[in-house]
Amino acid sequence: MSKVAIVGTGQTKFSKDEGDVEKLLFESGNDCLQSTDNCDLNDIDGVLVSTNSNSKYLGAILSETMGIRPKISHSIEHLCSSGTNAIISAYAYISSGLSDIVLVSGAESATNPGQILEWDKSRGSLEHPIYWGSMLTKSHKRKFQTTEEELAIVSAKNHKQAMDNPFAYSNEPKTISEVMNSKQITEDLRILDCSRSCSGSSSILLASEEKAKTLSDQPIWITGLGQKTTSASFTKNFLGKIESTRIAVDLAYKMAKIEPKNINVAEVHDAFSVCELMALSELGITSNEKSGEFVRNLFNTENKMINPRGGLIGAGHPLGATGISQTIEITNQLQGKSGKRQISNAETGLIHNMSAAGTSSSIMVLQN
Amino acid sequence: MTFFEEQLEKGIFQICYCKNCNNTIWPPKEICHICHNKADWKESINLGKILEFSKKESMYFGLIEIDDGIRVLGDISSTETPKVGQLVRMNVSFNSKPHYSFIVENN
Repeated sequence: MSKVAIVGTGQTKFSKDEGDVEKLLFESGNDCLQSTDNCDLNDIDGVLVSTNSNSKYLGAILSETMGIRPKISHSIEHLCSSGTNAIISAYAYISSGLSDIVLVSGAESATNPGQILEWDKSRGSLEHPIYWGSMLTKSHKRKFQTTEEELAIVSAKNHKQAMDNPFAYSNEPKTISEVMNSKQITEDLRILDCSRSCSGSSSILLASEEKAKTLSDQPIWITGLGQKTTSASFTKNFLGKIESTRIAVDLAYKMAKIEPKNINVAEVHDAFSVCELMALSELGITSNEKSGEFVRNLFNTENKMINPRGGLIGAGHPLGATGISQTIEITNQLQGKSGKRQISNAETGLIHNMSAAGTSSSIMVLQN
Repeated sequence: MTFFEEQLEKGIFQICYCKNCNNTIWPPKEICHICHNKADWKESINLGKILEFSKKESMYFGLIEIDDGIRVLGDISSTETPKVGQLVRMNVSFNSKPHYSFIVENN
């Protein structure tokens, strides 16, 4: 397989307002092409769109709106990890030689479907993610003695980091106390423990090694990929684990020939506060037992290595755009372009994106 | 409506399984996902145990394991704080979506 690089990125600001998906896709797509060195529209031979929107034929619509006539064009839906699934599909097209340059754009309107998986009869009438989020949270407290303060630190940390992210839906800081006293959703979840659906769009341009050299003087290489789907229904999960993440990250580490200790910066899928703690354990960065202490140390030392853009909790969660936005953050970090959020000397970064209570996970390792 | 949903409406939780390979099929589907033979049905004994629980407003809810390792999310009626491992009795209904509710056995 030939090498694949990220050569351009573009984003819109995330917002709680209702958004027009077609317009949002164009805005981030256009911003993405502007970020490259002289990209000729005629050279883009793939356009992929990730979204949970019910709008049809968005790959072709975005292509026409942008003035692109690609060989390959279609939409990709995989709930919350649609974005990374679209990027990995683009990687496959390029590395196999079917494409040379692919634009991947993700967008969501705050009112798009995607939070509720009607197919999953095992959730009964408790369809909303807050119910599985509560189960994971209560179980983590029970099994690993995780405290409510440790969970609140995840949210306070990510809100604080989002203050320096101009694309985040909110730039308001939240103290640990404000998180712990925010509106109670269930006995185990406060409103500030939850990521929020919002409108927004993110785009990324991928290219083959040969093309990358002409489009960017700082290409970022995708060196590791891993994906795993263990089920679609939440109740097939075992509490206390995200098996799909563990399997996917093992594949990605092997492909990139790295270990967890080599990760300088990571975007992890904090759908709820507890998901960041669980993900850090499954990624091998810490253990479930020590995860609360780990994020407390990050917060106290202002170490932004986990979710520097503010994660889903701080930046917002426009489902189809989230995985792409996570990837843009790691790309910018490895290019040294993250401003106040910059992790010094970042050479290796990781993206963790998952769907439906962790029944499916995607992992990407990027290197400069 | 599917057969499973029609039965829920009558208050019956039908367990979907495969006679050919004795595999439990959950959530229910017409075809066994292991051997791809047509699925069959049997009534649940309507007993389960609490794997985890939480509370929303005044109602407890939780993850319950019933027959054959099937797990569902449902409401839990209990005058006291439920316990993990506690036995519960299941009632089901259907009103545009399935509804599973559980009563702690020793209440």
